[in-house]
Amino acid sequence: MAKKKETFYKNSSMIIGLILVSCVLLICILSYFYMPYEPNEMNISDRFIKPSDNSEYILGTDNFGRDILSRIMIGSRTVLTVGIGSVCIGAFIGIALGALSAQFKRVVGSAIMRVMDGLMAFPGILLAMMLVTVVGRGAQGSIIAISIFMIPTFARLVNSMMLDTESLLYIKAAKSYGSTNMQIFFKHFIPAMLPKLITQFSSAVGSAVMIETSLSFLGLGIQPPNASWGLMLSEARQFFLQYPYLAVAPGIAIIMTVLGFNLIGDGLNDLLIKRRSKA
Amino acid sequence: MDEIVKIKNLTIKDDKDNILVSNVSLNIKKGEIFGLVGESGSGKTLTAKSIINLLPDNLVYNADLIETVGMNMDNISAREKRELIGKNIGFIPQNTIFFLHPMIKIKNQIADGYIEHMKKSKKEALDKAAILLGKVGFDEPRSILNYYPWQLSGGMRQRVNIAMALMNEPKLIIADEPTTALDSTIQRQVVDLFKTINEELGISILLISHDLALVKHYSKKIAVMYAGQIVESGIADDIFSNPKHPYTQSLMKIIPTFNMKKDERLSEIPGFVQETGRGNAGCIFKNRCPEAMDICSEKVMEHNIENEHYYKCNLED
Amino acid sequence: MLNYILSRFKSSIVVLFVVSIITFAVLMIIPGDPAQLILGTEATPDVVQELHSAMGLDKPLYEQYGNWLINLLKFDMGTSYLYGESVTTLILNCLPITLSVALYSMIIATIIAFIFGIISAIKKDSVIDYFSRSIMQLGTAIPSFWIGMVFVVFFGLKLKWFPISGYVPASESFLGFIKSITMPSVVLAIGEFGLLLRIIRSSMQESISQDYMDMAKVKGLSMGKIYLKYALRGAMVAPLTIIGMQFAKLVGGTTVVETVFALPGLGRLVLTAVEHRDIVLLQGLVMFITSSVILITFIVDILIMFMNPRIKTFERGE
Repeated sequence: MAKKKETFYKNSSMIIGLILVSCVLLICILSYFYMPYEPNEMNISDRFIKPSDNSEYILGTDNFGRDILSRIMIGSRTVLTVGIGSVCIGAFIGIALGALSAQFKRVVGSAIMRVMDGLMAFPGILLAMMLVTVVGRGAQGSIIAISIFMIPTFARLVNSMMLDTESLLYIKAAKSYGSTNMQIFFKHFIPAMLPKLITQFSSAVGSAVMIETSLSFLGLGIQPPNASWGLMLSEARQFFLQYPYLAVAPGIAIIMTVLGFNLIGDGLNDLLIKRRSKA
Repeated sequence: MDEIVKIKNLTIKDDKDNILVSNVSLNIKKGEIFGLVGESGSGKTLTAKSIINLLPDNLVYNADLIETVGMNMDNISAREKRELIGKNIGFIPQNTIFFLHPMIKIKNQIADGYIEHMKKSKKEALDKAAILLGKVGFDEPRSILNYYPWQLSGGMRQRVNIAMALMNEPKLIIADEPTTALDSTIQRQVVDLFKTINEELGISILLISHDLALVKHYSKKIAVMYAGQIVESGIADDIFSNPKHPYTQSLMKIIPTFNMKKDERLSEIPGFVQETGRGNAGCIFKNRCPEAMDICSEKVMEHNIENEHYYKCNLED
Repeated sequence: MLNYILSRFKSSIVVLFVVSIITFAVLMIIPGDPAQLILGTEATPDVVQELHSAMGLDKPLYEQYGNWLINLLKFDMGTSYLYGESVTTLILNCLPITLSVALYSMIIATIIAFIFGIISAIKKDSVIDYFSRSIMQLGTAIPSFWIGMVFVVFFGLKLKWFPISGYVPASESFLGFIKSITMPSVVLAIGEFGLLLRIIRSSMQESISQDYMDMAKVKGLSMGKIYLKYALRGAMVAPLTIIGMQFAKLVGGTTVVETVFALPGLGRLVLTAVEHRDIVLLQGLVMFITSSVILITFIVDILIMFMNPRIKTFERGE
């Protein structure tokens, strides 16, 4: 009976995660087709309209009279692009590095892993800030900075998984009848690593979104007049005292996205671990 | 009060309603060594655990009576149960390594029950522990107290456990497969120790084992369990000289004796212990019994002959 | 035991070395001449060239790196362009603030995590268990700047319990000090307690399922004592490691909170350095913070080693 409660809880949190992420994805896709207003269009006469006041602007307007809902929608594009994009790049490079270092264990492999350890020693925001100084601000800079931040996690994961499975019999067998390393990698290693990689990917997107919004908040990410939820919050900060509603929408948007991806990541973790222990 | 433990019709089920132990009854008298014999899966550990309230959470038990040291366990609260068991029963588990906390030194684990129940100071407790450790055969008890459990060998841990169980001067010690994890030389020492404790201090011992030879040598009374039921019980000497149940008889044949001829095979009982259907009315041993009859599927006769010899079988003698 | 310490020490040094290379290299890639940046656009090329040489910028890179490293070991991190002061001094001034906030928030997070984690583990699948797990997920998803802003308005302005910004040093007024760092620490703690709670919960669950719990029950000890003495002790290793790690990361992760609450800590200093491209300051800060992270991690590992008498493989018999 307790087991049923437990599975219900785990399933429902995964479902909630999926719902949240789908909402965000929908908003993003929708933004390409329709937005109530032009997100960057300023309308001084319509500033600071609260959501309850006016049915024209569903979520109200900000200090420049820009429609908040439209800005949230277009902001979702950056958040998702940067979030998912940087993890993709970071994962790709990380997996390649991890595989390489598992292959060439001694000198090259160690060296790569040491560099990964070094990278991981930097606290996240600090690394991102340092990289942004070099690569520049804006969406592009953020993507590069966050990708680099993501590389070591995937590299270490792949490296350790490959070293673990490498000694398994079927890999040795495959090697003995002459499959090339590339073949073995794609045919055997990748499928075996896929569950953990996907789980890691989802959680990583959650972190990436958090870092991106933090960077934008600090002014190091997306630059005005473009919209990013973190930027919207930073802009709202000055007026927060008089107009608290300004911070509600972007805040909730961020929470939904991060929570959604984290819940999916955790849900996947439980699902895939359960499956493995049954098998 | 002559009986330390009285169990009447104990049945244990799991959360899927499978019966694991069915209608087990046994009595352990004061000063008696009682051997509980059976293969793994026969339910002997579960039966013992129900005496000390250690059944896993997913199991339910039901009994007409479980009486420990004269107290009906159903009538008292959980806290009183714990106190009763702590004061009067000592438990010596099978794999001691898991039962002693790896991060706590012996001196800090061996005496906490004593301090709690007897309201003694730590110093008094450790003094007593040192005495008991000496009694169980350690040459330098004080130094043992300063060790961590993993620094001791299996045999040493077993003896620490015995000393720990003796701290509160219990009326009963439950020893679950005390020799399985030990070398044969140490096995002898440990069980001789039990015998000494029983003879000198009058402590009852519930000796659980699948090792029939061991039980034969040391017990006064035994019960033979098969697939969750007691198939035969009584005075040890009686049962060993005159086993009535086919299972007991087969077990006897398996004991390797020194009289065995060089190439003589150890006989086996064909088949496996069944997990399900343990609550059925028929004889539980039927599908492995060399003398099974048709009627054995439907019912099984219980016999109580002289010398408290009890057995379940349809065979007329 | 000594071997363990030595090997951990060796790898810490290697990581430190790698970190120093990364820090130096990354910030050297920045386009633009630092000398130019300092002197501004009006300076004549000659003057710029003079400063350039004086700063050693025309030496080969590995030599610059070597000099930088040697100076680091002397605790000389150079002079900040922006402030004109020694980087070391700037860091030492800001350090107490960041440390206080990091420490305070770690304490809060630890207390919350332990309380809810232990109760969750003991009363598995109860309402409080699901509640704990839910707030745990929520906590990590809430952006610190957002909740920080909410706190400022609600607790600072409306309820006036805490100052909305600024730092009061402990030397001035201890109560004022605590009040000034409470909100930022709570905000940070909200983000941190989640992971710790999860680890504590799973660690406790595992400990509770161990056989030594049965033995404690048979001895008749009270459940409270059993949980505290036996279960908890068996569950401490993983949480303590995490606490150490999190504290280390916090030291480098206070930027956002310090910005929202206007605290002059290391985080804010980093932001300023980035905004003004003060390379020297940034290099020094990054190096200092990351070294602290590595140092703290090393110390925590050693402490854990002392705490955990290593369990040998179980023998059978003698």
